[in-house]
Amino acid sequence: MDLRLAELVEELTTSGEPRLEPGKMKELKKICKSSNEHISHAYHLLLTRLREEHAEMRFSAFQIVRELFSRSHQFRTLLISNFQDFLELTVGIDHEQPLPPPKEVAQKLRKETIKSVQEWHEKYGEAYKKLSLGYHFLKKNKKVDFEDVHARTVAERRREEEKQKRLDNVYKEKAKRAEKEMEEMSQEIADTLTEMENCFRLLLPDPFDFTVHDTELEPNKQMPANEDRPASPWSSQVEVNQSYIECMDDEQPCCSKDILSQCVRTDTELDEKQEKPEQKDLDEDTCSESQSGILALDDDDDYETFVRNHGLLSHKYALDIEISPDIKVRENEDNTAIINNVMDAHRLLRNKFWPSVQSWIQLFTKAGINDDRLRCAIDLKNKMETAMKKYKEMNISFKARKRKVMKALDDDDDDDEEDEDEFVEVPEKEGYEPHIPDHLRKEYGLEPQSPPKALTGTTSTGPPPLSSHTQLKDNEDELDPTCAAATLKLIRDKLPKLPPPHASDSATTEPTGFEEPDSKRRKLEEERAKAPLMPYGLDLHYWGQDQPSAGKILKFASEHRFWAPSEVEEEVENKEISEMLKTRYITFAGKFEPVKHKCRARMPDGRLCERQDRIKCPFHGKIIPRDESGIPINAEDRAREEKMRFEKQAAHPEWRDPEFMREIEAATGVDLGSSKINGKEGKKKGKKKKYPNLTDLKQQANTSRSRLEKKVFNKGAMKRVVKAMNRVDQRKHEKFANQFNYALN
Amino acid sequence: MLGLIWARQAGLDDPLRLRRAEATRRVLSLELNKDRDVERIHGSGINTLDIEPVEGRYMLSGGSDGVIVLYDLENLTRETSYTCKALCSVGRSHPDVHKFSVETVQWYPHDTGMFTSSSFDKTLKIWDTNTLKSADAFHFKGTVYSHHMSPVATNHCLVAVGTKSPKVQLCDLKSGSFSHILQGHRQEVLAVAWSPRHEYVLATGSADGKVKLWDVRRASGCLSTLDQHNGEKSKASSEAANSAHTGRVNGLCYTNDGLHLLTTGTDDRMRLWNSFTGENTLVNYGKVCNESRKGLKFTISCGCDPEFAFVPYGSTIAVYTVFTGELITMLRGHYTAVNCCVFQPNFQELYSGSRDCNILAWIPALREPVPDDVSEKSLPQQHLNPAYEDAWSSSDDEG
Repeated sequence: MDLRLAELVEELTTSGEPRLEPGKMKELKKICKSSNEHISHAYHLLLTRLREEHAEMRFSAFQIVRELFSRSHQFRTLLISNFQDFLELTVGIDHEQPLPPPKEVAQKLRKETIKSVQEWHEKYGEAYKKLSLGYHFLKKNKKVDFEDVHARTVAERRREEEKQKRLDNVYKEKAKRAEKEMEEMSQEIADTLTEMENCFRLLLPDPFDFTVHDTELEPNKQMPANEDRPASPWSSQVEVNQSYIECMDDEQPCCSKDILSQCVRTDTELDEKQEKPEQKDLDEDTCSESQSGILALDDDDDYETFVRNHGLLSHKYALDIEISPDIKVRENEDNTAIINNVMDAHRLLRNKFWPSVQSWIQLFTKAGINDDRLRCAIDLKNKMETAMKKYKEMNISFKARKRKVMKALDDDDDDDEEDEDEFVEVPEKEGYEPHIPDHLRKEYGLEPQSPPKALTGTTSTGPPPLSSHTQLKDNEDELDPTCAAATLKLIRDKLPKLPPPHASDSATTEPTGFEEPDSKRRKLEEERAKAPLMPYGLDLHYWGQDQPSAGKILKFASEHRFWAPSEVEEEVENKEISEMLKTRYITFAGKFEPVKHKCRARMPDGRLCERQDRIKCPFHGKIIPRDESGIPINAEDRAREEKMRFEKQAAHPEWRDPEFMREIEAATGVDLGSSKINGKEGKKKGKKKKYPNLTDLKQQANTSRSRLEKKVFNKGAMKRVVKAMNRVDQRKHEKFANQFNYALN
Repeated sequence: MLGLIWARQAGLDDPLRLRRAEATRRVLSLELNKDRDVERIHGSGINTLDIEPVEGRYMLSGGSDGVIVLYDLENLTRETSYTCKALCSVGRSHPDVHKFSVETVQWYPHDTGMFTSSSFDKTLKIWDTNTLKSADAFHFKGTVYSHHMSPVATNHCLVAVGTKSPKVQLCDLKSGSFSHILQGHRQEVLAVAWSPRHEYVLATGSADGKVKLWDVRRASGCLSTLDQHNGEKSKASSEAANSAHTGRVNGLCYTNDGLHLLTTGTDDRMRLWNSFTGENTLVNYGKVCNESRKGLKFTISCGCDPEFAFVPYGSTIAVYTVFTGELITMLRGHYTAVNCCVFQPNFQELYSGSRDCNILAWIPALREPVPDDVSEKSLPQQHLNPAYEDAWSSSDDEG
């Protein structure tokens, strides 16, 4: 029974579970109940468990202690006689002996123990003096607050409260500031929003505005269809309507006036054009009917007269209008101003108002303000959100925007009237030449504009061929108004009509051969694209030149009277140097080719090896072509592999199958050495953790640092290093043994 | 016991014998008794305790926050359980309270009307018990570790004071001034004790490891310096010459007859000296754990057959037989280091004070009824208190 008791205690305390297993606990209690001897035995067992440096073990042991404590007087006396130790081990009252890891379990253990000590004190405190002493000790000396389970000190709590208070104050202050700010800004925001709204309305009339027309049209519908109407008051409306016909269809604005005026038309639009004359003849209601794509269906009785009156051949006209579902506003001269406005407003909203509104809302929620202010802020935010969404939906396609600064310089740019107000017109500089002749460019400190292709929009660069990134850089330069390149571009843009000087030159000089340079140019360009970019070097510097003096070294004859070498060659030619001036080293690294093949050798579990090594798989040797099932295709490879397998099998005869042997061993109880065959497996078994359920405390120490330490501070390694260092010392000693300072050590 | 009483009645025995036997039995059965409690007044550790020798009724305690409390130990309620009441105290709000930790309190040996206290605030105060006011105060240059008044003196009224300075000072209560300075120690004096046999003999223990015996009538120097090696080894090494302990000496206690002196030191040793010859009796007490940096107050029983020494040992109190050095038992009850203990000779009770603010009373256990004369009725009485009952659930499967 004693053995069983020890077993039970061990099992229960090494389970690592937060709760004890009730079955085992019952058994334990039954054993303890049988006699006092068992109780004291259990007490000692549990105390040893409590001394283990593992919080989980201690916690489980404590739980058993709690169970027994409430049941047995004997156990109580035993425990209380050693109550200091118990408290030390479970509450950690001794600061030199803290509770062992893991930390969370230790915390829990502490909490639970304090709770139970209180319970015990209430129940048994009077009878057991030391228990109440311990309780008072915890309460008075260790300042354990039995009410507060977290066992925090008073000071800590007060500090926390104060911090909270201070934070509250700060938030309140901030909220006040935000409120003021909001008051000031909300007007501005509202203005911006209305401005944006108006712009939208101008750009894209709201489809709901047309309901005005529709209501006007409604009574018309009820009128007799054949009634002749003076078209004059309607004509304008019809026109307007026509321009928006597409929009009316699914009540979604799909294009703007600009599209029509721009005369960018799809085929359907062309169709529409063909229909237009007819449509113009139609009454309003037919018109509206045609919008919906169905010809008048409701007036069945008027059908005949209707056809006749309108001179239509058939009633079955179908007008199909295809509409691209997404809106696109395209910028043109008419709406640039509006779009500019919208963009500015949008930018203002996005960059300035949006973040501030968001920060207000955050502040208000943090400060716990839950009144009009917060509602107002949220309102603003919603409005801005809708406006910004609308802006996005508009899908405005901009012309390539130029910086306003450049525009300001641009006197005949027509699309920014408001900019003209802001920027003072600068009179043309005296001696300012909009075009600089090529031969003079150097004087101006500009790069020569040599290749005629520069006209296409990029500034030309010097002799090194253009690569994409230099081009890109140039573009960037052009965008920067402070850069000379930008000005250049502006000038170039401004004078597109002016025939380029080179072109004109060539036109005048070779009017017939205009095509030829063009093809040449293209060829040149292609070549340039292909040519590699090389750093400038000596070889380029002396390209094509013959350097007679290169590599020649002049030696001066000695002017000494007596000491003259018998024969001095005055000039020595060093071929290497002369070569150096003509050669260039280009490292050829080759190109990385990813490995496409796999090892595909058969693995014991039937799968094929997935490793992609170039030449040799570390597990299966040289990579050879294999078929689907991993068998080598070449006959000799197959034979080799077969042979290898044979050899391996010979080393481990089949009858010594480890599992089979283990079974026999289990049955007969004789060691046949099965564990030796598979040494690795055996070792693993031996290393198995003693208590697999407990948290492994050593595992936490398994960091890169510890692993390195294991390697570096390995005994063998240390020895090796020491030996090597000694050897070096020894050598030094041998070398300088005759010298005084080395001789000593 | 009955045999002893009969022999006493018959006049066969020495009258002291019954008394001794009973006292010894009681001391051996000392335990932490739930029936006796001492009121919790102190808010910090207890440094010193003293029971007045006249009646053995009142106990003084000095705390490390300067508070002094006076307890009544006598149980006049006729009930078994009793909490020793604090009659009065010198609290923090008292005008004459010690500023710092009180290190020693001692009753005036012949009367309860006066007591003395010394403290780290460099003063020794003389108190009037009845008015609870400081009657006089002696000021010193260093902190006071310990002081003592001779329990048998009739011709003088001197208080020996051990301070941070190596000089032992004697204060004359009659004149209210310092009468002597005893020079000889090299470091602070942690413990002083007057002999209970000779009124002019004083023993002092110092941090330099030496214990010196003085005759205060002789101004030139000490009587003798105790030597742990009894002069044998000291010839070889002059440094260890005449040292009582290799660490600091922080506890001194005479046996009641004054023939022997017990000393403790931070070398974790306790030594018993023949106070007459100054010889080390070489009683081996084993390791007596002693980490105190201040004076340690331990005590020796009185009126038992082998006398017992009660020595603070970490958080426990070790009970040794004085002359054989046998460790009888360890009294466990405190939760931190015990600073002092004091023995009440009339009822064989022990009081101990510790850093955990508790004063514990160790009372002899009541004699348990002998099984022969226990009637069946008394069996359930054993379990009078429901807390002592087992609470195994009755059903088998529940456990």
